[in-house]
Order: sequence, then structure tokens, then C-alpha cells
Amino acid sequence: MKSRTAALLLLPGLVLLVVGFLIPSLIMLVSPPGVEPAQIFVRFGEMLTDPYDLRIIGRTVGIGLVVTVICVSLGFPIAYLLARSTSRWSGVLLALAIFPLLLSNVVRTFGWLVVLGSNGAIGQALVGLGLVDKAPQLLYTELAIVLGLTQLFLPLAIISCYSAVAQVDAGLDDAARGLGASRTRTFWSIVIPLSLPGIVVAATLVFAGSVTAYTTPYLLGGSSQRMLSTQLFSYASVTIDWASASATALIMTILVFLVSGLSSLVGRRGAIS
Amino acid sequence: MKVRRPVASALAVAGYIVMIVPILFVVATAFTGGETLRFPPEGVSLRWFEAALAYEPFIGALVSSLQLAVLATIIALLVGVPVTLAIHRGHIPGKGLVEGLFLSPLIVPELVVGLALYQQLMIGLRLDNFETLLIGHTVLMLPYAVRVTGASLALADPALEEAARGLGASPLRAFFTVTLPLLRPGIFSAALLSFVTSFNNVPLSLLLQSRDFRTLPVTMLDYVQQSYDPMVAAMATLILAGTIVVAVIAERTVGFAKIFGGINR
Repeated sequence: MKSRTAALLLLPGLVLLVVGFLIPSLIMLVSPPGVEPAQIFVRFGEMLTDPYDLRIIGRTVGIGLVVTVICVSLGFPIAYLLARSTSRWSGVLLALAIFPLLLSNVVRTFGWLVVLGSNGAIGQALVGLGLVDKAPQLLYTELAIVLGLTQLFLPLAIISCYSAVAQVDAGLDDAARGLGASRTRTFWSIVIPLSLPGIVVAATLVFAGSVTAYTTPYLLGGSSQRMLSTQLFSYASVTIDWASASATALIMTILVFLVSGLSSLVGRRGAIS
Repeated sequence: MKVRRPVASALAVAGYIVMIVPILFVVATAFTGGETLRFPPEGVSLRWFEAALAYEPFIGALVSSLQLAVLATIIALLVGVPVTLAIHRGHIPGKGLVEGLFLSPLIVPELVVGLALYQQLMIGLRLDNFETLLIGHTVLMLPYAVRVTGASLALADPALEEAARGLGASPLRAFFTVTLPLLRPGIFSAALLSFVTSFNNVPLSLLLQSRDFRTLPVTMLDYVQQSYDPMVAAMATLILAGTIVVAVIAERTVGFAKIFGGINR
């Protein structure tokens, strides 16, 4: 292929990417309409010191970490069992784990309103059993957000772990077992270290997804449990405060870039050793 | 029956419950005969399905979302497949950088991109919200077009194209008779992922709504905020049914695991 042909093939894509993504994003982050770049950095600094903003940042990062730990600790066993299973059901179960990725987040998250709401399944069950007089407040709590995000990102964790575990030769498990290692020891000293790259990818995807998700904190956290995403929306469309919106967007973007960078660093280190 | 790995199995069961059970509750409440969203549902009826299908904002938004998803998918492929060809078959400087650039919309938070397009294109350049949505969704899908079809192209032997050229085919003819058929599974996977991503999108579309053109997921979110009746559950169940159809088609043609395996590699 001539380099002129290649350039022509690239051109429409590049134009779209630059005009429809790169330039608008850069201008929005550093110089939105009627706002001096300095103002954004002042707001950025304020957010990192103001107790109200700090609580939102802390909640976002905290929930992100908790969801990441839960998704990896549930997703890895599922991936491991599916990859090592010889049952004819494993194909169905794998499809069942992937299917939610095709399904709208609104539909998936909406289910928790029915489960956790004051007239919902858990509340009614507790009252019905006589364990409590009044259904406990489960909706609009951090717990609700954690449950919702876990549901949302578990399939991603399973897929990332699955492709890693599937590449680990099952013969190695047998060899370790044959040499007298217990099943638990084999799992922790053979399977886990060899699938570490997949686990790192899973953790990165889940964390980045959790700290930027909007639907879940909006439906399940409400206005009492704000996260960076719901706060950003409120600055952009309710109070129309461009400086604060840009500063919040900057924090969110830095957070995601930081984690992606860290993960590729860990991935590279892992590849060398 | 003895469970061989009790801890792993217990965790796996917990995982499946969290992933699947809430969806079943949506379906159960959609068939309620009662007035409110509660569990257990009161009686069985199809009244909320009738209500959802007669509710103009939902049906209008459904049509809008389908239009947007189809159009954006087509444009993303028309623009993205040539980019993939240039990256894999052309001699361009900074190949890794170019590919990274086209994958970058995956990293930047969608809500941030949505805010940028709202502020710069809709308010700044006075584009209408449909045009802005179309640009945004197309950009969001470019990474799929580039990476998923790229994975197919990397597997295709360039010698086949050279053979066709050597036998006298023009570059265009070699592309349409040799390369394109090899790319078909990749293009199909990318199209499916793009369509689903666009149809379900909330964060990017959220700020880009207008009275004339609204997408379905955002319309449903707004509705949930205002009223607590089971109509949204009925609409959600209809979307679930549609998604199952898409999933079956995907499984029968390319295979599920292959389509999604392509994203993470």
C-alpha cells in the first residue's frame, strides 16, 4: 500500500477524532466558555481541600476500590471454575456471565430498585418474617451503589480472568498436585501467579468503570450519596458552573489515567519477572 | 453429591446471584396487576406492557435510539475499517501512536466526553443535538471498529492480497474479493458491539438530549425519577427480550466469547 493511499484511508477517521473528540475535550478541560484557565485550577485545588468535595472524591474512590475487590474475588473463582470445568453446562454458564454485557445498564440497575426499595423484595421479606417492624433503608445507600456496580462490572472481571486462566496449562495444576501440593496451595502458588496479568486487567477495567459510572449512583445513590459522576452532571446541567464541571471532569480523567498507567506499569513489570 | 471446591463454588454462586437475580425481579414486576412497583407483585396482567407500548415518549425514544445506533454503527465502520487497513497494511510513521489515538475514546470517561461535546459542539458551534449525538456515538465506536476488525486483519495473511494483485487484480478489486471476505467476522463483531454500545449508552448521551430527539435509556431514567409505577419494568422487559434475540444471533454467527474476547486483548 502506498503511503499516500494509507494517508487517505486515515484522513476521515482522524478528522472525526480530532474535531469530535480531542479538541472539544481539551478545550472543555482547560478553557470552557467564559472561564479563565486559572479559575479551573483554583476550583481543582479547592476540591482537593474542601470537606464536601473531598467526601465525594473519597466516596468515589472508596466505592471503586470495594467494587474492584468484590468483582475480582467473585469473578476469578467463576472464571477458574468455568475454564477448568468439563461439564457441558460450562458453556451455558459462560454465556450467562457474558450476556449481561449486552443488556442496558438502566435495565440491570433498575432491578435493584425492585430488590432494595422500601416495598421491595428484601424489605418485604424481612417485615413478613417478623424480623423488623419497618423495612430498613437499603436504597440510596453506599451499599446499594456497591451492589449495583458489582452486578454491572462482574461480567467484565469474569471475561478478563477467564482468558488468563484458560491460558494457564491445566497440566501444571496436575503436576503440583502430583508432587503433593494441596488443592488450596496449588491454587495460590500456581494458578493465581500465572493468571496475574488477567487479574490486573480485570481490576483496572472494574475500577475505571466504577469511578465513572453514572446510571448506578444516580438510580441507587440518589442525591444523598453523590459520586463524582452525579456531581459532574449537576454542575453541568443544574447549576451550569463550567469551572466546577471542568475541575470535576479533570479529577475523574486523572483518576482513570492514573489507574490505567499504574496497571500497564504493573503489567510490564510482571512480564519481565 | 460432593462439591469439590466449596469456597470457589460458594463465591461463584454469589456472583451469579448478583448478576442475574435483579434482572429476574424486573421481569416479575413487569407482569404485576397492581399500581405500584412492589414485591411480591399483585396479580398477573399485561396492562403495563400495553401502557408502555402506548406511551409516546418511550416509543418515540425507542425509534430515535434505533436510528442513532444504526446510523452511528454504519459511519463508524465506514470510517474505522479504512483506518484499520492503513494501520495494518500501510507504511505509516508512528503506527503505535496512531492506533493508540484511535483507541483513546475508550479511556476518557464518557461523561467527560459528553460534557465536552455538549459545551463545544452543541452550545459553541450550535450543532443540533442529533448531529452531536451522532458524532459522539461514532467516536465512541471507532475503537471497536479499529481493534476488533484489526484483530481479524492481523490473522489474515497479506500474501493472499499480494497474490491477487500479482494475478492482475486492481487494489480495489483485491480488497473487495480477498480482504473484505476475510474481515467479515471482525466487521460483524464490531457492528454488533457498536450497535449495542450506542443503543444502551447513558453517560455520553445524557447531556445531549432535546425535546425533539431523546434516546430511550435517558428517557427511562427520567421517568423513574418522576414516578414509581411498573411501566418502566415492562419497557425494561421488552428491552431484555430484544437483547436476548441479539445475543442468540451473535452466538449463532460469530460466537459470544469471540466477540467479547476481542475487546480485552
